[in-house]
Amino acid sequence: MLQPKRTKFRKAQKGRIKGVAKGGFTLNFGSYGLKAQEPARITARQIEAARRAMTRQMKRAGRVWIRIFPDVPVSKKPTEVRMGKGKGTPEFWAAKVKPGRIMFEIDGVSDTVAREALRLGAAKLPVRTRVVARLGEN
Amino acid sequence: MAEWTEISATARQSDGKGAARAVRREGRVPAVIYGDKKDPTPISLEHKELWQQIRIGQFLSTIYVVNVDGEATRVIPRDIQMDPVRDFPIHVDFLRLGEGARIAVEVPVSFINEEESPGLKRGGVLNIVRHTIELRCLAEAIPEQLEADLTGLDIGDSLHVSAITLPEDVELTISDRDFTIATVAGRMAEIVDEVEEEEGLEGEEGEEGEEGEEGVEGEEGGEE
Repeated sequence: MLQPKRTKFRKAQKGRIKGVAKGGFTLNFGSYGLKAQEPARITARQIEAARRAMTRQMKRAGRVWIRIFPDVPVSKKPTEVRMGKGKGTPEFWAAKVKPGRIMFEIDGVSDTVAREALRLGAAKLPVRTRVVARLGEN
Repeated sequence: MAEWTEISATARQSDGKGAARAVRREGRVPAVIYGDKKDPTPISLEHKELWQQIRIGQFLSTIYVVNVDGEATRVIPRDIQMDPVRDFPIHVDFLRLGEGARIAVEVPVSFINEEESPGLKRGGVLNIVRHTIELRCLAEAIPEQLEADLTGLDIGDSLHVSAITLPEDVELTISDRDFTIATVAGRMAEIVDEVEEEEGLEGEEGEEGEEGEEGVEGEEGGEE
């Protein structure tokens, strides 16, 4: 699973996801992509699950690019612990995604396979998505 | 590219974001025509007509004739601003073309003879580094596309711009280096991934099971 090699701080504040994507909203590598339509925090597990679903559908042909990186440590308190006594321990890593962000790109497979792979990948993600294609190819 | 597509437009009286938003509310797309040492002309286009042209592809390398209230101007689109979430055009920049204008334009690359490449036959993957190449040419002679021949490319080989035959009177804007257009990559990395994936699946299932059991035990312990 994806996670940073080293970080300056172990824990991060939660923050809010506001507005729409300022960059990463156009296809840069592949011919097809999966675009987020709403804001969300996507965990490294979800990214990995989506990647696996896509590569399996593509039967190892073509190529998949992951355009998001889980760089936010998310902490959690253990169950049945009273409030206070400091922030919980980091449990997983997540990527903050704004609407419009291209999360995955695919190339090297047919239109049908690419769209089906992205549909299967999208099913593993907690956001509404849309498949986008390079103009002139859809 | 001898025939130019005509797009009808109307002149906008005022510019600025307020006026542009008002135009969008009417279902039209604000645009501007500039260049050729004349004043810029703010215009607006019919959304449906513009979107049809964009969807055809190669919008930024096609010459159009924009008919602004009866006055025809030969232009080339230089930029389209798209809505980042829903991908509809929100503004278009057109460059006015004078007689004999030489312009820099991005031309798409098409890859031919994939079946003649031993690398792709053996299961390699074509990794396209550049989908378009920037050329400098006469506005009247913009090539529709450039053809990159994949014949003889094996796994690990790469195709550089020097391998592409350019039409006459067309030059590259990047001329100081022989940049890469595409490479043929092997499947080794993918296979390793797949093996890891299968091992990982088994491992993760085991881990999840253990975690779950621990969690249940913990909860039970807590209740007691």
